[in-house]
Amino acid sequence: MKKHKGKIIAGILILFVLTVTYFWGGNYVKVDKPHNKDSQINADISGEPSLIDKDESKEQSDDVESLNTDDDLDGLNEDGENTESGAQTDLDKLGEKPKKSESSEVVEEGSESYSKEKGMIIDTKTGKDKYLTDPVPEGKPIPVEPQDTVVKDASYTCTLSVRCDTILDNMDYLDEAKWELVPEDGVIFPATKVTFYEGESVFNLLQREMKKNKIHMEFRNTPMYNSAYICGINNLYEFDVGELSGWMYKVNDWFPNYGVSRYKLEEGDVVEFVYTCDLGRDVGGHSSLGGE
Amino acid sequence: MRDTFSDYHPIVNFVYFTQVLVFSMFFMHPVCLGISLISAFTYSIYLNGKKALKFNFKYMLPMLIITALINPAFNHEGATILTYLRDGNPLTLESITYGIAAAIMFVTIISWFSCYNTVMTSDKFVYLFGRIIPGLSLILSMTLRFVPRFKVQLKIVSNAQKCIGRDVSNGSIIQRAKHGMRILSIMVTWALENAIEIADSMRSRGYGLPGRTAFSIYRFDKRDKYALIFLLFFGGYILIGYITKGLYWKYFPTMRGVRFEPYSMSLYISYLALCLAPVAINIKEDWKWKAIESKI
Repeated sequence: MKKHKGKIIAGILILFVLTVTYFWGGNYVKVDKPHNKDSQINADISGEPSLIDKDESKEQSDDVESLNTDDDLDGLNEDGENTESGAQTDLDKLGEKPKKSESSEVVEEGSESYSKEKGMIIDTKTGKDKYLTDPVPEGKPIPVEPQDTVVKDASYTCTLSVRCDTILDNMDYLDEAKWELVPEDGVIFPATKVTFYEGESVFNLLQREMKKNKIHMEFRNTPMYNSAYICGINNLYEFDVGELSGWMYKVNDWFPNYGVSRYKLEEGDVVEFVYTCDLGRDVGGHSSLGGE
Repeated sequence: MRDTFSDYHPIVNFVYFTQVLVFSMFFMHPVCLGISLISAFTYSIYLNGKKALKFNFKYMLPMLIITALINPAFNHEGATILTYLRDGNPLTLESITYGIAAAIMFVTIISWFSCYNTVMTSDKFVYLFGRIIPGLSLILSMTLRFVPRFKVQLKIVSNAQKCIGRDVSNGSIIQRAKHGMRILSIMVTWALENAIEIADSMRSRGYGLPGRTAFSIYRFDKRDKYALIFLLFFGGYILIGYITKGLYWKYFPTMRGVRFEPYSMSLYISYLALCLAPVAINIKEDWKWKAIESKI
């Protein structure tokens, strides 16, 4: 018995660690009720300053003050716009967007026949294309490989915005060191009409605009999916707000099921980058990640 | 230049090195890194003289520069964008400074370990832990002694091979490689055999059995007591300071933290006092020795 004492203790210890890990469950944002986007936004605005107030030891007193003086979303938005040098932001549009995104929550089935007809080469065995992409839903553009496209001089315009308002709900999951990065209204880059050139992808557009506006953006190339992966914008990275967080993009209120480098832009497209804290469920893009 | 700190009780040596190593690994505040680096270099030069100086400049400095350069190539976090790299990701000030900080920490730890190896000889380590964890302490002391012993043995084998014209410096390139392989195989055999021999000889001496006593020349006297109290007091104070964010510093997304507030200043000074304690003891002892000498 004495000989096996160490083994027994080690076994008990392993069992204990496993039990604790099982009940802890992981560091993801726990959502108690299904998302109602509008009520959430209202909750942000009222709840958010108190969150900042809790943090008394911070030196960002100026940030806190500006937060406390402005008390509603509209006021903040207008402020943001005035500073943005004549940016053609459509305020109403911005305010209404969350409502619209609810419609895209209806799970859109990928249509194989439609995708094939459009020219997507789908492997009959896996039901996916060369870069592991499922067929796109009917009426949506198919992925275009960046190596096959030629960028021409003809210029067009589209709308680009970068938002992270879902973080405002979950500030306690975010590291205190990063609180200063989250704008009080969650808008990192307001909806702006921007120019792009024929044949460019969403990634080209984002990279150029972020560079131009001196907003930090990091990406990684993933050859497996033949696309860039956006790790972080404005120093807000994937996994910063729990294990299910990261950046997603939608074009014309649809979350494409393929990477940013493979979405070819068209005139008048509305491109939005949104931060999700719950694998897309909180922004309405869960279906693009293969969720039910 | 005798190291008086080595003559202190092993527990004092061990507590000192544990504190210094742990603090160096966790404190990323620039001032703390600087204090630790300077202290480690000073003490290693005091202990090993010219050899340490040469080692520090020949290996540590290039390693520091390379490690500092690697970080911004892979880490693009940080709010201050300096320029953009070729692949399109930003090069940020924070990633560069963090790279430098990490490189300094890396070099400092290596330097502290070189001091540790000189001061904490294996008999001291086995004296401290032989009773509590006999198996593990023997393994640890063997592992920590492995590289220096291997180096010495390598020289012996290499010289012996040279006598019969089979060293790595003899013959054409292919022959040299062959000789090198032979020496390596000899060394590996030696190392394995040696480890088994040590284990066997320790067992035959009854190492780790209950009731076995061990002779030791260490005595815990008054100066050890004072030194231990000094180390524990300052170590505790610095630890409390660290927990209460008196040494707080963040690199990402923007560099911020405590600077030269009185509380932090007291922590820096305590940290410096802690790190330089052996050097101070040595200098005092050297001075004492000289004073006695001149009287005669």
